[in-house]
Amino acid sequence: MGKIAVLTNDLQADVVHKTPERTAAMAEAQPRFVHFLEEMRRRGHGIYHLQLVNLPDDPNVERDFDGTLPLQRGSEGAAILGDFLDPSDSVVEKNKDSGFYETELHDLLQKNGVDTVLVTGLQTQICVQTTAADAFFRGYNIWVPSDCVVSGDPEARDRSLEWLSGYCATVASSEEILATLDSDGELARKVVKILP
Amino acid sequence: MTTPAADLGEVVLDHGSGTQLSHELLSLIVETLGDVYIGEMEDSAMLPIAAGQIAMTTDSFVVDPPFFGNGDIGKIAVCGTVNDLAVVGAKPLYLTLGMILETGLPISRLVQVLTSIRETAREAGVQIVCGDTKVVRKGEADQIYLNTAGVGVFERTPLRMRNVRPGDRVILSGPIGNHTVHLLSIREGLGFEQRVLSDCAPVNGMLDALFAAVDEGDVRSVRDVTRGGLAAVLHEYAGAVERTIRIDKEALPIQFETLMATDMLGIDPIHSANEGCVCLFVDPSAEQKVLDALRAHKHGTGAVAIGEVTEQDGALVLMRDAEGRDSVVEELLGAELPRLC
Repeated sequence: MGKIAVLTNDLQADVVHKTPERTAAMAEAQPRFVHFLEEMRRRGHGIYHLQLVNLPDDPNVERDFDGTLPLQRGSEGAAILGDFLDPSDSVVEKNKDSGFYETELHDLLQKNGVDTVLVTGLQTQICVQTTAADAFFRGYNIWVPSDCVVSGDPEARDRSLEWLSGYCATVASSEEILATLDSDGELARKVVKILP
Repeated sequence: MTTPAADLGEVVLDHGSGTQLSHELLSLIVETLGDVYIGEMEDSAMLPIAAGQIAMTTDSFVVDPPFFGNGDIGKIAVCGTVNDLAVVGAKPLYLTLGMILETGLPISRLVQVLTSIRETAREAGVQIVCGDTKVVRKGEADQIYLNTAGVGVFERTPLRMRNVRPGDRVILSGPIGNHTVHLLSIREGLGFEQRVLSDCAPVNGMLDALFAAVDEGDVRSVRDVTRGGLAAVLHEYAGAVERTIRIDKEALPIQFETLMATDMLGIDPIHSANEGCVCLFVDPSAEQKVLDALRAHKHGTGAVAIGEVTEQDGALVLMRDAEGRDSVVEELLGAELPRLC
């Protein structure tokens, strides 16, 4: 049986506070989310924070209205928010939506014997969804704690959870996941549609 | 001794100024294109042609990103024009090659594009007969834009939309949506780019093999399924023949991962651009022969019949689901994703 890891997406001020809707959604989720990360750490599971950093030469990066590039490497807005970060956690830089796209994440997870990932963070309908899909294609067992994913658009969040559940992931609340871990000692792999 | 591509530096404005640097770049272009380039550096290419009727077409290419997983803008530029000639029944012979280069483009990248052009032209059996290179300042283009114009000859009766008639079967040569998903995935790093590859390919060889395997008239008309996707092609034909075309939803060839991605992105594979897929309208009695011939070619292994041209008046496109319910396939007014070719 492989190890379990929690992947967080974009827990950074420039992402979380980009709109008032996101800030509010994160404020609502944060206590549960932080608690879940603490509980996972306490059970010995690794936390990997995916840190979005925009590259200045990426033509597809969305700039601020004044032309400023948000999420620059080393900037305050790109730092992982302190409330979610523990010294034992790993931080992996990414430059696109999926945490696996041209990053060291897959190698790191493989090196550490991880075969199950719990995908969390924001936004649900972009980075969470694409990171989960990418992990699925790489053979990981995917779980998504439905109350530890965040979006400024609740309808988009719900659609994404439905998509994740339909295609590639087991979606459950963080409490259910912790309870399953405690009772079963593992998170079973969901039987998903078989690729042709 | 040939200079390694990585040491060739970057494109500068003077590469397009007609001076010595221009000549050096031209030499590199000619050398890289190799035997597929037959230009003689005159102001016009002078070419033999043995036909009573020729086909001509032109297309510009601004694909973003210009370099992707299993191809690049050079491959698309050859395929796009070759395929436009091939689907009307012409034999593609000659291409022109216009290039607009952004200052700062690594010349090794240009060599990569030219190499793709050479290899794709070889596969398609076409020759590059003349070209032009312009260089623009930083920010005035996105790395590289291409234009190709093509000339083909008819060795068989041209295929026209008006040949299509009620009862004809509609066939696709392969899966739809893959090119769009591949490019969008690379643009944003969505995670699908390794699983879903572009279908970009020259289809003239496949169509040659098809025409050799069937009787004249069995294939009424062919269209490459590019911008606007399958829906745009079907609407064009439905309008031209003033009949309703009905397709079966369950029969549409859509790769599982492509369905995942399009579902996630909120786009429909039926509206998605492709670069190596053709839609054929065929005599119903020849359907199996056509499918067999397509499937025997490497670019047509996924060929499948998806519907038919009905007797019903009106230029509608209908899609029938598994329960037998029909819904109207709308033609997009303008929500198409930009720069896919």
